[in-house]
Amino acid sequence: MQIKEVVSEKLQEKYYEIEHSSGLRVFVWPKEGYNSTYAIIGTPFGSIYNHFTVNSEEVRVPDGIAHYLEHKLFESEEGDAFSLYASTGANANAYTSFDKTCYLFSCTDNFKRCLEILLGFVTSPYFTPETVEKEQGIIGQEIKMYDDSADWRVMFNTLVGMYHEHPVRIDIAGTVESIAEIDADKLYTCYNTYYNLNNMALTVVGNVSVDEVLEICDKSLKSQEKVDVESHFPTDPYKVKESYIEQILPVAIPLFNLGFKADASKRFTEQEVAYVDILLFMLASNISPMYRELMDEGLINATFSYELFEGIGFNSIIFSGESREPRRVEEIIKKYINKVKAEGISKEDFENARRAVYGDALSALNSVSSIANLVEDFFFSKRNVFDYYDAVASASVEDVEKVLKNILDTENTTLSVVKGG
Amino acid sequence: MNTIERREIAPGVYFSTVKDNRFKTMKITAVAMVPLTTENVAAFALLSQVMTRSCKEYPDFTELSKKLSSLYGASLTGSVQKIGEMQALSFSVSGIDDRYALTSESISEELSQLLCKVMFEPLVENGAFLEDEVEQERRQLIDMADSELGDKRVYANNKLLEVMCKGEAFALRKYGNKELINEVTPKALFDAWKKLLSTAVFEIFYVGESSSQTAEKVFTEKFSAIERDACSVFTTLVDRAEAAVEHTETMEVSQAKLLMGYRTDCSSLDDDIIPMRLMCTILGGSAHSKFFTNVREKQSLCYYCVSRLHRVKGIMVVESGVEFENIEKARKAMEAELEAIRNGDVSDDEIKFAKLAAINSFVSICDSVGGNTEWYVSQLGDKKLMSVEEAVAAFDAVTKEQIVEAANKLTLDTVYILRGE
Repeated sequence: MQIKEVVSEKLQEKYYEIEHSSGLRVFVWPKEGYNSTYAIIGTPFGSIYNHFTVNSEEVRVPDGIAHYLEHKLFESEEGDAFSLYASTGANANAYTSFDKTCYLFSCTDNFKRCLEILLGFVTSPYFTPETVEKEQGIIGQEIKMYDDSADWRVMFNTLVGMYHEHPVRIDIAGTVESIAEIDADKLYTCYNTYYNLNNMALTVVGNVSVDEVLEICDKSLKSQEKVDVESHFPTDPYKVKESYIEQILPVAIPLFNLGFKADASKRFTEQEVAYVDILLFMLASNISPMYRELMDEGLINATFSYELFEGIGFNSIIFSGESREPRRVEEIIKKYINKVKAEGISKEDFENARRAVYGDALSALNSVSSIANLVEDFFFSKRNVFDYYDAVASASVEDVEKVLKNILDTENTTLSVVKGG
Repeated sequence: MNTIERREIAPGVYFSTVKDNRFKTMKITAVAMVPLTTENVAAFALLSQVMTRSCKEYPDFTELSKKLSSLYGASLTGSVQKIGEMQALSFSVSGIDDRYALTSESISEELSQLLCKVMFEPLVENGAFLEDEVEQERRQLIDMADSELGDKRVYANNKLLEVMCKGEAFALRKYGNKELINEVTPKALFDAWKKLLSTAVFEIFYVGESSSQTAEKVFTEKFSAIERDACSVFTTLVDRAEAAVEHTETMEVSQAKLLMGYRTDCSSLDDDIIPMRLMCTILGGSAHSKFFTNVREKQSLCYYCVSRLHRVKGIMVVESGVEFENIEKARKAMEAELEAIRNGDVSDDEIKFAKLAAINSFVSICDSVGGNTEWYVSQLGDKKLMSVEEAVAAFDAVTKEQIVEAANKLTLDTVYILRGE
């Protein structure tokens, strides 16, 4: 077992990275003076993993199975994990995203017991036809809740518009029909394929020491053989599928997402992510001339935002907000991007954006949950946390201009609108 | 644990410091409390937005945004919330601690000065705010009012309270409504600003490592120049409901929302409120609650089923999202859980788990800059400000008899249902 200490003098922070003998990667980030501890264990198995080859057998699974598995893993033969946590006072939860599933808790007392519970249920699946069946009603209502959510619909429609085949276009929870095909056997297949400690990572942040974490890991985890798995993702064409997509829902003010699809053959490095963050702040935050024009014209409001949305086989920038004239918003955003691409970026805006992104990133290090989620995210994306901070601090105009060349193609966009009937 | 140092620096103006060296950022929040009234609600809400958009020194909002970005992404925000029948306007600045600036500058001092400028030296001319500025923020506030419909859960909660509290100030939304927002003139806004500074009760919170001296000094100076006559804010209570009213609204939705509003016969000014809060947690306030365990997990009726207390107003709301055909069944199931507590069917474990969950959330909240402020702001309508230790002791002392008694105080006032045709 190897324990590596990773330090950032500038940030006055350090964490430990451990390759546990069980195969699990463990990160421990002590925060002095904190009362709480946040622990999260994740596996790189999310909604986009619906096709894989394991032990030379090719498998296709129903949409929404990763999320379904998340719900069911919370149950053991003795009952659900929530009831085990009850006597600790911890606040426990789990979530499934496009590319990972994570289980977590936050506690102020009984840390070791909580970690034991977490590692215990994540490593002991228990699915029966009855327990699987029972979840249909609960998840069915979760799906319907999202069907009524304007924010959620406008975002998924953007992905449906941008992507032809990539499973990122499929709702994370699947559909009422697709989850009806899920049974205990399929859940076990997914579990045995992806919930292997050699693929997984545990991060613990807060009022905690390396010794405490390792004591429980040693006790709870058995070494596992690596599983030979290949996940398949279709290569989506460069061009978007639809340039406009619309849905009618009861809303008083239309919502829009404008997605710029980019080449996704190679994932961004932590440096590239830093440069894109600075670039987007310059282009679209409240310091930019584009934001000013959109506001002055009465086309957007304070809900306007932007994000880099990328993972295995997908990469895009999405602008979102509420507007009574989404088409004009699209026009102004594209006009401004083309102008910046032709004329280069302003040094003053760049410097303000660099500082602002640095400040934002720094404030994330106040919170045990932000840190833990950041560490998990970066680990599964094969990125280094402190290198990201260094890249923001030392970014140059040229770095940002270089990254701009390959993204924000104004000829390759999807505008998604949700409006009232 | 942090202790707070609170001083009255002018009549009805309190300055509190939470000295904390664990964080990388600092935050100053000035909360101004005024009565929630139909006449003033929209003007004050609009004021919170207009005042944080520009000021005499930074008359242009892009310039102000650039200034904040250059201070490492410092933020300046104005927001409004409803605490019982009190409207609370918050003006806050936050930014990185001086230790982490890439160059040597005192960010905390600059931000203290900036917050004062925004509050005391706004951009006004001839006894009115500038028309263009007001119109920009008016449009956005109306959008905010309109966008409520996009989130059916928020919409349904607001509708329930509107129907239930007809004729009471609590029926008002925190920003009023479209009509009221449209009536506010730039002159009326100026008068509202004057009124705010002279009559609102102010609570100013400073959380951070850097010294709060500058902030306290400038606020003391500014307020000493104002003739203060602090208003009193109180909430009118309806102790018990006469008979339950049912209100159904139809809309094109996939999932029905079922909400029930109860009068609690006690409020945050009574000692009885602590057992009521714990009762609410046992009923539907955590993953170990009766609602979660029975209505969701055992009966698979819903994804969420929760109870929430508006403690300053003495109202408890229970809510769930269900299939149209399950509305009655869900209502019966939720009422049965409440009935169980009323009949003394609460186990020692249930009580212990609810206490542990509540205490866990209290103890962890002060592990963030925002949490420190929130802990005190959330108690502004309470009998007295409790420290975390005091709250823990108060919750720990609650008995089963008190919990059963609390449940028996509830009277059902209004049932609100949102459903499809």
